[in-house]
Amino acid sequence: MKRIALDKAQPGQILAEKLTRHDGVLLANQGSEVTEGLLRMLARQNIETIVIEEADGRSPEEVLAGYRSFLASLEARFVRVEGQPVLMALKKTMIFLAEKERDEALALLSPPEPEPQSAENASQD
Amino acid sequence: MSQPVTQDRSQAKKEVRRIKNLPTVPGIVAKISRMVENPETSAAEVGRLISQDQVLSAKVLRMANSAFFGMSRKISSISQALVILGFDVVKGLVLTSSVFDMIQKSMAGLWEHSIGCAAASGAVATLLGRDDAEEILVAGLLHDLGKVVLALNLPEEMKLVQKKVASGPVLFHEAECELLDFDHCDLGQWLAEHWNLPESLAEPMRLHHRPEKAVLKPECVAIVHVADVIVRAKGFGNAGDVLVPPISMAAWEALRLRKTDFLPILEILEPKLASLCDLTSID
Repeated sequence: MKRIALDKAQPGQILAEKLTRHDGVLLANQGSEVTEGLLRMLARQNIETIVIEEADGRSPEEVLAGYRSFLASLEARFVRVEGQPVLMALKKTMIFLAEKERDEALALLSPPEPEPQSAENASQD
Repeated sequence: MSQPVTQDRSQAKKEVRRIKNLPTVPGIVAKISRMVENPETSAAEVGRLISQDQVLSAKVLRMANSAFFGMSRKISSISQALVILGFDVVKGLVLTSSVFDMIQKSMAGLWEHSIGCAAASGAVATLLGRDDAEEILVAGLLHDLGKVVLALNLPEEMKLVQKKVASGPVLFHEAECELLDFDHCDLGQWLAEHWNLPESLAEPMRLHHRPEKAVLKPECVAIVHVADVIVRAKGFGNAGDVLVPPISMAAWEALRLRKTDFLPILEILEPKLASLCDLTSID
């Protein structure tokens, strides 16, 4: 994720953090899409910066390589505690989260695949 | 070359006591401690004292407004920080800001380990629904100060320990115990005594590797212990080795944590760690 000035924000970007007003009132949830309307509203509320999800310029292969190197470094860090069930649960949780992050990064990289059904319809036309 | 490996523990302790240049207590921290001993002192007076040092105040406010505390409103003055975060937390932040340069200079990655452990302590405390989460976070921030003393005041001993750590999958603390007759926990305790730090900060410095021995705030020490393990598992910062240490089952059970608690803890922690990268330099 990346913090950017509000005037650099573009419709279509995804908020990586929720936005609250100074008095704590929620303006937009994490995961919301930035729209022209939202940008105008945030400007009126004097919000100066927002945090957005970013495709970090990695190719799918690089995302997968990053995931594999994370797994290798995780194995190395846990080498002394392989027998401790509590820490194995911690490791498993970290792998679960890394898989989630990998899949989200891949999804952010490639525009969603058209539904197989509609693709078929298109080819029939 | 000096003889770094001392056989007798009390002898070692004496030698450490003899270090002439044990880091001096930051002047402002000593002043605050003296003020607090006087029951007549008001929070406003303490606030004025801290505010006199503009550089320090700015650092303290930066930490108070960081992802650590997740404040929805900006804290814009020391007096406001005192009201919102409480006296002990602000004092901990003043202490941290005052020793920031020392921590940075001592070991690459130790500052990051410290803020990571603080954030993880806060995450565990939050999950457990503790109302003293901020105090526990500060204890996490300062738990490894003993390593700063080892690095800055006992460089020969530090080199020996680092050499041992580099020789295989050896924990920094194991290498200390094998090669020296004191460890960074003892050094942290000695520093805390020398600086007259409160026992609530000294205890986690002394016992984060033996949390079952804690008396004053056993759950706080247990949380810092678990947080230390979690932040090392994340590989955030560098505490002197790159290994996950064994977890104290006594601490784990005392906190009544469950294995399924790791997921919410990590979900609280991850975005905080990402934002805390901003704090890697607080100047």
